[in-house]
Amino acid sequence: MIRYILGRLISVALTFTVVSVIVFLMMHAVPGGPFDGNDMPVNDAVKAKLNASLGLDRPLHIQYFKYMWGVLHFDFGIPFQSPGETVLQLLARAWPPSLILGGSGVLIGAPLGILLGIAAALRRNTWVDYLASALATLGLSVPVFVISMLLLMVFAVLIGWLPASGWDRPYSWILPIAAYAAIPMATYARYTRSAMLDVLNKPFVTVLRAKGISERRIIFQHVLRNAALPMITVFLPMFIGTATGSIFVEAMFRVPGLGAYFVSSINLRDYPLEMALILMITFMFCIAYLISDIVYALVNPRIRVGGRQ
Amino acid sequence: MTRSPLYFALRRFADNKAAVVCGVILLTIILMAIFAPLITQTGYEDQDFLTEALAFPSGAHLMGIDDLGRDFFARIVYGARVSLTIGLSAALFSVVIGIPLGAISGYYGGVADWFVMRLIELFSVVPPLLAAMLLGALTGGGFVTIVLIAALFGWVQVCLLVRAQVKAFREKEFVRAAQALGATPGYIIRRHLIPNSVSPIIVGFVLAIPLAMMLEASLSFLGIGVPPPTPSWGQMINVGMNFMYFYWHMAVFPTAALAITVLATTLFGDGLRDALDPTLKGR
Repeated sequence: MIRYILGRLISVALTFTVVSVIVFLMMHAVPGGPFDGNDMPVNDAVKAKLNASLGLDRPLHIQYFKYMWGVLHFDFGIPFQSPGETVLQLLARAWPPSLILGGSGVLIGAPLGILLGIAAALRRNTWVDYLASALATLGLSVPVFVISMLLLMVFAVLIGWLPASGWDRPYSWILPIAAYAAIPMATYARYTRSAMLDVLNKPFVTVLRAKGISERRIIFQHVLRNAALPMITVFLPMFIGTATGSIFVEAMFRVPGLGAYFVSSINLRDYPLEMALILMITFMFCIAYLISDIVYALVNPRIRVGGRQ
Repeated sequence: MTRSPLYFALRRFADNKAAVVCGVILLTIILMAIFAPLITQTGYEDQDFLTEALAFPSGAHLMGIDDLGRDFFARIVYGARVSLTIGLSAALFSVVIGIPLGAISGYYGGVADWFVMRLIELFSVVPPLLAAMLLGALTGGGFVTIVLIAALFGWVQVCLLVRAQVKAFREKEFVRAAQALGATPGYIIRRHLIPNSVSPIIVGFVLAIPLAMMLEASLSFLGIGVPPPTPSWGQMINVGMNFMYFYWHMAVFPTAALAITVLATTLFGDGLRDALDPTLKGR
């Protein structure tokens, strides 16, 4: 087991390093630097001095190691778009709305999706199943900003019950959270349904039925427990995966969260902030995969010997 | 009378009502895109109706006029061209990258497989949209760039499907026989393994299309995708958002067009996958 965890750890660390190198190189491969703008021209001598003071004249690999050394000490540099604070302070300010949005989205969407999936699997090929499948397909295949748009059109424009944008009062949180919850709901509905159907078709369920055990006990004590296994692996990556969706939800509803800053950092070429956000999300993904691999190995001993499938 | 597997696949597909309906819808959209000049009265960038800017839908202009005096129906129809072209070419590139990598890692195993799997792991820890946004911003967007970005993330699925199929067939007797007769690995892969992977390749191809279309719409929505005046639904949704309280048609039509096209393609692809490979059903 320890060997397995160590192996995964090394692999994840390698992946993270490679991603950070690629992102770093990509940012610096683009011609032009932060002082090349036309709105505030600086002469060459000043530019050279500025570049030197920021270490931008050093070779790339030195810059990379210097940057990563800073990252290890939680120093992500200073964002171009608000030089009065560090990237870390800016992120600390942007976290809460995204956390509320993402947290409640997943906490509302995931249980709903699981219930839908269970209902669809138990009532296969009835209207419940079709409704669940339709909702799951809609949530999984249509971009989240289209769902946001539909919600906006109906509840903000047509009926006018809820505000279309803003984050100042909890009242205005409803629509973005609803749009956000669509993704975990759809993912969970689909996974739960197929996991339940897999287990329901296993021979041991037939045996349990033959022994005369009540259908309710079979479902709750045996099928659900076994179906929960594959769902563990989906949970953490999905939780973080919604972070990507949040970018669009935040852009649609003008929520001042991480996603909004990601968009503005891309438009303004704010490299320190962009780099910090990408590294952070990649890091969380790596950890999430690592944890779910380990949890999966703990509950399913076959993985430990066979390696990841 | 013996019937080919294709016959049974077609029968299974025909039984799937939703997939057939979506196929018809998709075909209609494709035909509209191809014959766009015939069904619209103006081009997508002709500002012929400036005096009637933002007019609501009417008999003369089915979807109204946009803020710059262009017939909105023409823009929606030409938008289908952009969306479909990007979807199809990105899927094609995905297949071109995915097949050789999948075949090599599935056939040789060992170091080659390890390398390809690490490559895939690399792509699985970076959310495609984030990376696409970064790449799009760095390169300034544009048609070709978006196709390449979509292919960069689309090949993973094709590669995994081909790899699984090749791995399953590698140990079959006919491959052993070919090896015994002195066939080279390249010959076996080309002559035996890839032709046997046709159904996962088709499935991978069709499922890569909606992903690429979504990517394009998302990037264009953020303003780093297809640059104006080329009509893109994502870009039109972004503009429409500013008008949605007063001129609903600016927001509703591009949203509906994108949703319908992506949904139809996805359901068509799902149906095709279920028909070609019944063992995957419901995944």
